[in-house]
Amino acid sequence: MAWKSVYWDEVKEGNELPAQKREITRTTVIATAIATRDFTPVHHDHEAARKSGANDIFLNILTTGGFIGKYMTDWSGPEGQLKRMVIRLGATCYPGDTLTSNGKVVKKYTEGANHLVDIDYNLTVAMGPHAWGTVTMILPTKS
Amino acid sequence: MSQGVYEKLQAMVGEEAGPFESPNEVNMAMIRHWCEAMEDGNPLYNDEKYAKNTRYGGIIAPSQMVQAYCMPPLWPKKVMPDPQAKAVRMMDEAGYSGVVATTTSQEYFRPMRLGDRLSYKIKFVSVSPEKTTRLGTGHFLTSEYTYTNQKGEVVCLQSFTILKFKPTV
Repeated sequence: MAWKSVYWDEVKEGNELPAQKREITRTTVIATAIATRDFTPVHHDHEAARKSGANDIFLNILTTGGFIGKYMTDWSGPEGQLKRMVIRLGATCYPGDTLTSNGKVVKKYTEGANHLVDIDYNLTVAMGPHAWGTVTMILPTKS
Repeated sequence: MSQGVYEKLQAMVGEEAGPFESPNEVNMAMIRHWCEAMEDGNPLYNDEKYAKNTRYGGIIAPSQMVQAYCMPPLWPKKVMPDPQAKAVRMMDEAGYSGVVATTTSQEYFRPMRLGDRLSYKIKFVSVSPEKTTRLGTGHFLTSEYTYTNQKGEVVCLQSFTILKFKPTV
């Protein structure tokens, strides 16, 4: 399979990343909690989640990071490298939510030999923003 | 006595713990489980043929997986002398029962290759003055994690901020 790359030379500030949507189920919450090795009961035990004040089990933070990384490299292709990721956390993501990812290139620059872009992103659920922040990626160049 | 706990927390700034070694080396099974759960098809993580011809020369783990490798085992239970956990206990005792994570950031320096063995150190770096938020009144606590590989090279620096608060009833 051929993998497409987004080249730094071709990116413009203001370019938007294609939106992605994911339906979050109980299976998603539990499978990601275990894959990230997070056994905190609120991510797999409904009763424990209710006792903690949540409506249901909910997505853990490591998974939010995993989803953001996937969203970025799905856009850039495998040659794009994550350099920095800032995640501000907002609304809890529950089973039944549709998690929608959006992103926009806000800065294009170089740092030493690296060709970088800053991408402002947000992941939203019905209640509002679940996570937002800025990711810095190193992109390949055509030359 | 919130003033008392704030001063005790300020005195803790700079406290460190670790290094703690990951119970697992970077391995294919954990990467595959991660990618399956995230629905991440990046060939660097699962296609040996593809990965071999890249600058990495082989499969690497997703950068954000660094913390997953360092999560404490479910069994046997291990109590890590963690300054962040100590700060949380002190605030619980002072009546700040609520907790919410507010910000986390990671910066990546080196890829994680199959067979790498990671370790991490944790440092308590700051406590904010008392703040009133829509959740309640409390303090923001920030810790920094340094992840290194078996050669002592820094793989990732992470900062993690939580708000410990007295819930508004």
